[in-house]
Amino acid sequence: MSEAPAILTRALSKTYKDVRALDNVNLELPANRIYGLLGRNGAGKTTLMSILTGQNFATEGEAEIFGHTPFEHDPTLSRICFIRESQKYPDDFKASQAFKAAAIFFENWNEELAQDLVRAFNLPVKRRIKKLSRGQLSAVGVIIGMASRAEITFFDEPYLGLDAVARQIFYDRLIEDFAQFPRTIVLSSHLIDEVSNLLEHVIVIDQGRIVINAEAEELQGAAFTVTGNAQKVAQFTAGCKVLHRDALGSLASLTVQGRLSDQQRREAAELGLDLSPVSLQQLVVRSTLNAAADQNGTMEQEARK
Amino acid sequence: MNRIIKVARMQLINKWTFIGIPLLVLACSFLLTLAIWAIVRRAGAEDSVYSGGAQAPMWYFLALGIQALTLTFPFSMAMSVSRRTFYLGTVALFSVCALALSIFYYLMGLVETATSGWGVNGQFFALGWVAENNAVVQIAFYWVLMSLLFMLGFFSATLYMRWRTTGVLLFTISLAVVLLGTVAIITYGDHWPAVGQWLAAWTAGSVTLLGAGLAVVLAGASYLTLRKATA
Repeated sequence: MSEAPAILTRALSKTYKDVRALDNVNLELPANRIYGLLGRNGAGKTTLMSILTGQNFATEGEAEIFGHTPFEHDPTLSRICFIRESQKYPDDFKASQAFKAAAIFFENWNEELAQDLVRAFNLPVKRRIKKLSRGQLSAVGVIIGMASRAEITFFDEPYLGLDAVARQIFYDRLIEDFAQFPRTIVLSSHLIDEVSNLLEHVIVIDQGRIVINAEAEELQGAAFTVTGNAQKVAQFTAGCKVLHRDALGSLASLTVQGRLSDQQRREAAELGLDLSPVSLQQLVVRSTLNAAADQNGTMEQEARK
Repeated sequence: MNRIIKVARMQLINKWTFIGIPLLVLACSFLLTLAIWAIVRRAGAEDSVYSGGAQAPMWYFLALGIQALTLTFPFSMAMSVSRRTFYLGTVALFSVCALALSIFYYLMGLVETATSGWGVNGQFFALGWVAENNAVVQIAFYWVLMSLLFMLGFFSATLYMRWRTTGVLLFTISLAVVLLGTVAIITYGDHWPAVGQWLAAWTAGSVTLLGAGLAVVLAGASYLTLRKATA
């Protein structure tokens, strides 16, 4: 097959009137991996996925799927499945009819898997979709996304309204099915810790910009928190990039970017400092907050000029 | 081509929308008309009786044009169908359905004439002005009328999809202004008698041609509008 990456964007930007929904997004994502597209509500996750699936248009830049612009290109579109978080279904459709339609269009559709998931999610397939609860509506989207087995599948906050059990079913089934039928999966989420185990590669988007684009493994342990006597903490972290600072009296807790060497660990022990790893969620939260602060800082500087 | 047919199959998943409801509307409208005629005859009327009931399903097509788009277009995007394929599949399916119904109208018109107006000298399917033409013109007349109404609904729905309420409002307001302007020009220029003559000269054939032209313009405009619409 083609050597082109599954997903490629070059200087992709999208402007809605006065809002910069996407700002110079550059991505190159090889096929057959699980990607996490993380960020706050309104960060640009859905906009990015809409453009990648030809449902929306970029203001500037390019988006390519397997080397083709997806817009109005049926052969490329047929390799993609993207069910929006707020997906609309025909008014009179039942879940079973939506699955029937999906079976018509997605060549790799697996009815057995779909039926299996229907049972697992306890989905009433004979009820009209517009009468389903939020969780059941999400389940319809999850089932279409999974059973379509499209070469690139986008899940847009697929867990909304699903209870903890149903969410676990989704994560477990996704991993299971991915192992059997490897494909490119983009999972957009703001429940970061919940999905962090699934992800091979993490993309964090904030205010339309890519803030983190790294392997999940790299991010694990990419930051740590040091807690202890404020002076000693300052001494220990001198010259490091501080992501976050908490202080209480003479105690300080600093979140610092970087990897710990064995020597540093010994040094921390000698100084009586506590070291703790930072979860992916913490890292994302700190990074996005910092990105926002940097931006405000730059804006203030520009304002002063 | 294959995916165009798939779009038609998707639109037909709920058979009521495209087939069941129009037939039901037609059947009810016809039976109610027959009942009214029976009552009228009982009351002693002797002239032949007419009904415009055959147009009832046609108005449903206006609604169908809107529905086919607003409800199914966002879903078809999720099914990874391009706008062009969605458009072609939907319009083609409608054309086939409308053609089938037009032929049915024509055949029922033949039955109506053969049974001297369902035994009560009524005209439901074979209205004189249309039925006096040959089969092709009759079928084309119904077909074009149905397509025109469908495209009208479809076009206004694409306006909504592309520019939401603002687009529909602007379009209807401009249309109203243009119509009012036309009326004003005719009135101030004392052209009404000429317009009357012009209207009276229309035949089923020329109405069909004009309607077909309008339907094609609407179809083209719908496609161009839909091409940049977002779900």
